[in-house]
Amino acid sequence: MQAEKYIMGLFKNEDQVVSTLAALNDSAYKFKRVHSPIPSHRIMDALNLKKSKVGWFTLAGGIIGFFSGFALAIFCSVQWNLIVSGKPIISLIPFFIVGFELTILFAVFGNVIGLLTQARLPDAKGMENYDPRCSGEHFGVLATCEPMQQDDLKDFFQQNGGEVKVFD
Amino acid sequence: MPNLTYASIDQTVLNTLTPPKRYYWAIVAVLFLGVLVGAACWTYQIFVGIGVGGQNNPVAWGTYLINFVFWVGIAHSGTLISAILHLFRAGWRNPIARAAETMTVFAVCIAGLFPFIHLGRVWQVYYMIPYPNQRLLWPNFLSPLMFDVIAISTYLTVSSLFWYTGLLPDLAAIRDRSEGIRKKIFTFLSMGWTGAHEQWRHYTRGYLFFAALATPLVISVHSVVSWDFALGIAPGWHTTIFAPYFVAGAIHSGLAMVLTLMIPLRKIFSYQKIITKEVLENVAKTIVFTGLIVGFAYATEFFIAWYSHNSVEIEQFRWRAMGDYRWGFYFMVFCNTLIPLLFLFKKIRTTIATLFIISLIVNFGMWWERFVIIVGGVARGYSPHAWGLYTPSLIEYGIMLGAFSLFFFLFLLFAKHLPSVSMTEMKETLDHGDSHAG
Repeated sequence: MQAEKYIMGLFKNEDQVVSTLAALNDSAYKFKRVHSPIPSHRIMDALNLKKSKVGWFTLAGGIIGFFSGFALAIFCSVQWNLIVSGKPIISLIPFFIVGFELTILFAVFGNVIGLLTQARLPDAKGMENYDPRCSGEHFGVLATCEPMQQDDLKDFFQQNGGEVKVFD
Repeated sequence: MPNLTYASIDQTVLNTLTPPKRYYWAIVAVLFLGVLVGAACWTYQIFVGIGVGGQNNPVAWGTYLINFVFWVGIAHSGTLISAILHLFRAGWRNPIARAAETMTVFAVCIAGLFPFIHLGRVWQVYYMIPYPNQRLLWPNFLSPLMFDVIAISTYLTVSSLFWYTGLLPDLAAIRDRSEGIRKKIFTFLSMGWTGAHEQWRHYTRGYLFFAALATPLVISVHSVVSWDFALGIAPGWHTTIFAPYFVAGAIHSGLAMVLTLMIPLRKIFSYQKIITKEVLENVAKTIVFTGLIVGFAYATEFFIAWYSHNSVEIEQFRWRAMGDYRWGFYFMVFCNTLIPLLFLFKKIRTTIATLFIISLIVNFGMWWERFVIIVGGVARGYSPHAWGLYTPSLIEYGIMLGAFSLFFFLFLLFAKHLPSVSMTEMKETLDHGDSHAG
């Protein structure tokens, strides 16, 4: 069996991409992905994407950070049980500041980990079947088809107003 | 955004990354010389001792702490612009967000140097790290100085990660338009970013959380810095308004520094179509607002001193206005509150020359504000026999020169090697008026 062909339609505006995606959905071609120079709500809505899970990583990081901050401050305090200026050894109000800062710090770490794992970065193979114009002024819709349908898919993109690029 | 297209934005920004001319390297060399002067002064201080500075008893906190607070303040507007205005969907922040974020990262780095410099025996810095040292001593988190260690290191880490995350799509855009070694470097830095819809889906969400986390952080950091003073019982320091007062002052000085940097950048890199007068005008309007807040704080301090009937506080503020450092006080009131009111006149806030001059004046005034607060509190304490004055030494001036040189040196290197305007966010502004809308 021959390998499927990767063909990209390059468009200059979001409207064309959105209408192409709708048409692609009703066709026999297999949609792969859209590359765009900016994040586009309209494209995301057209693709009917679910909400990202990055926030759960952020939340988990924040919770870990909050308790780690308090734990660190309390642990350090009880190592040297000396009352200073009449303040209790475990003083929750000042320790809240440490807890707060570490909440933010660990939430950001969680956010970065979430972003990297969910978006699969770094991606050494990301440049395969990619056109550099997609970081400039073009939106690229990548689809695949059987080799015998290659010309039909090219026509399809052209009819929707796109420029065509075929990947080997 | 007149006559801008995706292609023209790319072209304008990429043109700034062409190999620099000789005069650029000449300025970089002069600034590097300034950095060397600062480094030499610090080295001398390390060998001879902290006594080479002008700090004394009672004024143990001098320019090192003044500069620390000054640079942390400068760092604040970057996050205001990139995070807070992002959450408010203020599209005008897009052209200046990248440069302001970069300014933040460099300013925090420089601010972070000053506690090391002030420490004198800098090799003892590890005592502030929570790990069991040779005497099994752990840091005491009841101290506001330890809050500061946590807050500043968190702020540096978060603002650096925020900056790099925002840079990612632009790094990919440069990669796609480069060749040779430059392409390899940007391929590595962009981590395989291709703007695929799955990447954007997670990126916009992550960026939104970054902004949401950076906003309370930026407010907490300068509040913590203010508590270095407010938790001390020195007159003029021990006051509850310090946190909001410091935060407003920080944003005030940071916005002024944004104008100081953006105006030459706009001219040199021909960014007039991107960084429009309207953008600069909006920064100027915000400066009027923050200037009024700091002016209100200055007045409140005097009112509370009078209202408290506390003779030490009354003397502290009488001396502030009429004592040895009265010029510093006049500078701070005049430069930070009165001069920015000139921006109420449209003609002044839309003229590039006056915008630039007033931004320099506010920077100058904000440095003096920190001088008045920090030196004033300890120079005129409770006991008249412990009163004293302070004059910075040449070594301190040298280190200050080094700090300012390092800031502009780093910024100049950044402006010519990385995109100083976010291409992605500018394209989004053309499309829907805001950025990375998650």
